[in-house]
Amino acid sequence: MDILFFGKLGDRIGREIRIEPPPGGCTVRELRALLASLYPAAEADLTSPSLRACVGDEIVAEDFHVGAGRSVEFFPPLSGG
Amino acid sequence: MIDARLTDLPLDPAVEMSRFMGKLGEEGAVVSFAGVARPRTRDGAEVERIFLDHHPRLTQRSIDEIARAATQRFAVSAITATHRFGAVLPGETIVFVAAASIHRRAAFEAADYVMDRLKTEAVFWKREDSVDGSRWIEPTDADRAGRARWSE
Repeated sequence: MDILFFGKLGDRIGREIRIEPPPGGCTVRELRALLASLYPAAEADLTSPSLRACVGDEIVAEDFHVGAGRSVEFFPPLSGG
Repeated sequence: MIDARLTDLPLDPAVEMSRFMGKLGEEGAVVSFAGVARPRTRDGAEVERIFLDHHPRLTQRSIDEIARAATQRFAVSAITATHRFGAVLPGETIVFVAAASIHRRAAFEAADYVMDRLKTEAVFWKREDSVDGSRWIEPTDADRAGRARWSE
């Protein structure tokens, strides 16, 4: 499963990583926990409610089920202008 | 006319304004705004650069949607919004917005609305690199309050 990070998390972890998801995929909530175990230094950011997950260019909820072959992007709070 | 663009090149407000006004017809009001990278952080440290991370598809989609919404909400005939991404040096323009209308009120409001939404909803992540280190910027309470004004 490909995971992309933007903003602060992109700096901390890298833009793109590939992980081995549980067989059959997992929910976004489970994915966050898995990532936090892989990157404990970024746990606070990975589990923050202000971090949103995006699949197929749409923001998805915590219970969204991500198939093993999908890509997931994580968005910290936005700030433009 | 709706024109929302991203660029990683220096942005000259005078050139943008001239380009915008060259496309207008019988409007009697044009309002413009330029957001400029500040030379100091809120703590007074010297800023070396602003870095704007962006998304390969959703950033353009977000500024398109914000500009389109402004034309639907206010009686403006034209909107332009150009936003930098990548590295921006202090003193350089980060964002330029202009709106045109028959009478001035709609143009003022549309430009204000576009900026409030760009600050909080456009798909960018802004990092301030200063002599004291780097800090990722998040919308302030004032930014959120600015956005909330348009939800009433």
